[in-house]
Amino acid sequence: MRMPDAYLVGAGQSDYGTFPEESYRSLFRTAFDAAVENVPKGFETADVDEAFIGTLGVGGRQLGLSGPAVTEHVGLDGVPCTRVENACAASGFATRQAVQAVKSGMADVALAGGFEIMTDMSSDATKYWLGVSGETEWERLSGTTFSGVYAQMASAHMEKHGTTREQLSRVAVKNHSNGAKNPHAQLGFECSLDDAQSAPVVADPLNLYHCCPTSDGAACALIVSEDVVDEYTDVPIRVAGVGAGSDTVGLFQRDSYTGIPASQRAAETAYEMADVSPADLDFAEVHDCFAIAELLAYEDLGFCQKGEAGQFIESGATELDGDLPVNTSGGLKSKGHPIGATGAGQVVEAFKQLSGTAGERQVENPTRGLTHNVGGSGGASVIHIFEREEQRSSSSSSGHRPQEKETEVSA
Amino acid sequence: MAAITAVGAYAPRFRITAEEFAEAWGHFQASGISEKAVPSADEDALTMAYEAATRAIEASDFDAAEVDWLGFASSRPPAAEEDLTARLGAMLGLSSTTARQTFTGSTRAGTRALWAGMDAVETAAGTAVIVAADAPHGDPDDEIDHAAGAGAAAFVLEANGPAELVDRAEYAAPYPGTRFRNTGEDETQGLGVTQYDRQAFTETIGGAVSGLEVESGPEAAAIQAPNGKLPYRAAGAAGVGTDEIQAAATVHELGDLGAASVPVSLAGALTDGYESILAVSHGSGAGADALLVTVSGDVPAKIAIESDDAISYADYLRQRGIVTSGPPSGGGAYVSVPSWRRSLPQRYRLEAGRCPECGALAFPPEGSCDDCGALAEYDPIELPGEGVIEAVTTISQGGAPPEFAAQQSQSGDYAAAIVALEAETDRETVSIPAMGTDADPSAFAVGDRVETTIRRIYTQEGVTRYGFKIRPSDDE
Repeated sequence: MRMPDAYLVGAGQSDYGTFPEESYRSLFRTAFDAAVENVPKGFETADVDEAFIGTLGVGGRQLGLSGPAVTEHVGLDGVPCTRVENACAASGFATRQAVQAVKSGMADVALAGGFEIMTDMSSDATKYWLGVSGETEWERLSGTTFSGVYAQMASAHMEKHGTTREQLSRVAVKNHSNGAKNPHAQLGFECSLDDAQSAPVVADPLNLYHCCPTSDGAACALIVSEDVVDEYTDVPIRVAGVGAGSDTVGLFQRDSYTGIPASQRAAETAYEMADVSPADLDFAEVHDCFAIAELLAYEDLGFCQKGEAGQFIESGATELDGDLPVNTSGGLKSKGHPIGATGAGQVVEAFKQLSGTAGERQVENPTRGLTHNVGGSGGASVIHIFEREEQRSSSSSSGHRPQEKETEVSA
Repeated sequence: MAAITAVGAYAPRFRITAEEFAEAWGHFQASGISEKAVPSADEDALTMAYEAATRAIEASDFDAAEVDWLGFASSRPPAAEEDLTARLGAMLGLSSTTARQTFTGSTRAGTRALWAGMDAVETAAGTAVIVAADAPHGDPDDEIDHAAGAGAAAFVLEANGPAELVDRAEYAAPYPGTRFRNTGEDETQGLGVTQYDRQAFTETIGGAVSGLEVESGPEAAAIQAPNGKLPYRAAGAAGVGTDEIQAAATVHELGDLGAASVPVSLAGALTDGYESILAVSHGSGAGADALLVTVSGDVPAKIAIESDDAISYADYLRQRGIVTSGPPSGGGAYVSVPSWRRSLPQRYRLEAGRCPECGALAFPPEGSCDDCGALAEYDPIELPGEGVIEAVTTISQGGAPPEFAAQQSQSGDYAAAIVALEAETDRETVSIPAMGTDADPSAFAVGDRVETTIRRIYTQEGVTRYGFKIRPSDDE
């Protein structure tokens, strides 16, 4: 039996940054409202059949039932909600769950979202939470958080492939240049190669500009089935491919330190499902929690050959006007990285690019974009490929929508 | 009686000179000490005991599992209440049924342990390992702290061997207030009544030596050395000349080693080949032990007390935690003590597992095999503790997990690596993350050879957790 297609009809996010006046609920509401607002033909909260919410729970503010804590707050009254925890890939996986719910036929409309508050604690308290998704007993207790683990990957990549610190710094320069064009970005300013090269070291060879910030923020995406998509938009964005993979939590337990096998598996599955190759992509949002992570993604996702990511960033191919713009939103580096919100936030950028609403950072007339969300140092990875379909006629469908909504849309 | 059949000794790598103290304080109160050893932030009496004892066992013909009796001596064990010989025995790979005893409360504890070890060997005719490790600690402006060094020595004792303990005697007389640390206090103190202190020192030493029945005329005399002058003042009482004391002295280069003072000097004298050695300890309170050693052959030894890694007085204060704060409060990731305990065979003895299905190594040996995916019971295999760095970073301020924030403020940036540890056979390896120690972080690079040792990892809920770290390999 053929599974119905799933479509992305709306997505939105809060600003990413530090917001002492906001709660995780209020940030989530901002993101939810923005997602609803962005649905071209309108959307009612009551349309949602199912919700999946990603959050790690930094600070321990609501560790149990943190999903319903936000969905009930925004009026998803009684809607089944599942909290998804896959570290930094939490809402990438929440999006995948929403797609699965729709494709399985159990839901026509699913909400995928995520949130995190990371900046309302002392820096000491924050540190206890950074790296909690690393392997705790051995990796953390050898003195590393994620900056250290990614630095170890960088050391291995540099040793094996001759990758340089300057190539790492170019990731920061590019992503800040994009983030400066994104009003939601936490660090929305440009940085020079000199700035990026001379920042204080965090975990050698990674310096401050090679690391993403800690952030508050929320993001939401609305996924609907092919039966109802016409009720929400005339420019459908199809979820063409989905792929995911897992791996050992600790880097030391893997065969390779110069790539993320879970991402390679996820990419293979997603490309096959979408029946596309990396050359068919018009842009990509990849998980650049550290500069080396973006370079690894180029290789893991097949944007360039293994070992050549350093030259690939140098070539300018991934800049906004390059062949394959990467992290047009500014990425985790410049836009920010509120852990649980990050994956859904990448979907927001894909939605904006494919619906032509990305403003100053708009890629010219894109058809296809990829989002890549990694948990921890690669214990989980999830990829979505979104594809804009041909404009459809505005006729309403005979889907599962409630009558009153149809009236409202046609009004 | 009993004989010493192998020796090990250890001193931390850091050294501070008398000049550094003089520059900081305007004067240096510990006379006769030109420089002294300083323990790193991840060292204490237990880790130094491991360093010395593991060397003594390596130098001997013995498998650690064959040791019958363990004696651990320190005036400053890292826990005032808890039998640390359980952890020390596990670190060394002793059997759970090995008898063990702790000696503390006095700088005389080292020779007390030797004394008890002699009795153990005599009654059970087995093998004893005695280790004394110490790092005295006083108020920063006090003579005791100025003199305080750090080091450890360990001896393997058997019924017969190249260095026989031919005689022994002890002496005690009440001298309160000479050197003391009341329950609950951290700094060792003394009233500093000069003549009174000297009298306690010489009377007890003289008393113990007078008790010896064997005539000797020793070539070297290992005398308790709270500073670099006092042992020489006891020359007359001990019936030796200053040359003999000088021959075995370690205080001038290592400082006051507390309960390890006489043991480290004795280890040095044995290694130097002296044929007749007098060892006399002194502990405040006061008491003394005198031991006479007659050497008839080479004593196997592994001694690691040399270093020229000089530090400044500011570094000294940092390393000792005098000018740093404790760990931050918080939550988040947490390894419970019971969880930690389950990993002790790996933390202490590098116990890996071999997959019974495909033969691949696993470390830690749990979960499904990384190579073949089998979920089988691993066959335990101890790794020798040598390997090669596969990936490495230097963690700077701000990059450390909070568990290590206090250590980092004490000892600075550190290396964190993934190391491929080798198995005894073939060129098989298994990878594990480990923190660098005993060298600057820049001394750890991809491809470098390293060896493991045991250090303090971190302290949480008041419980210090020990486990392996890596340092540049000795072989290079």
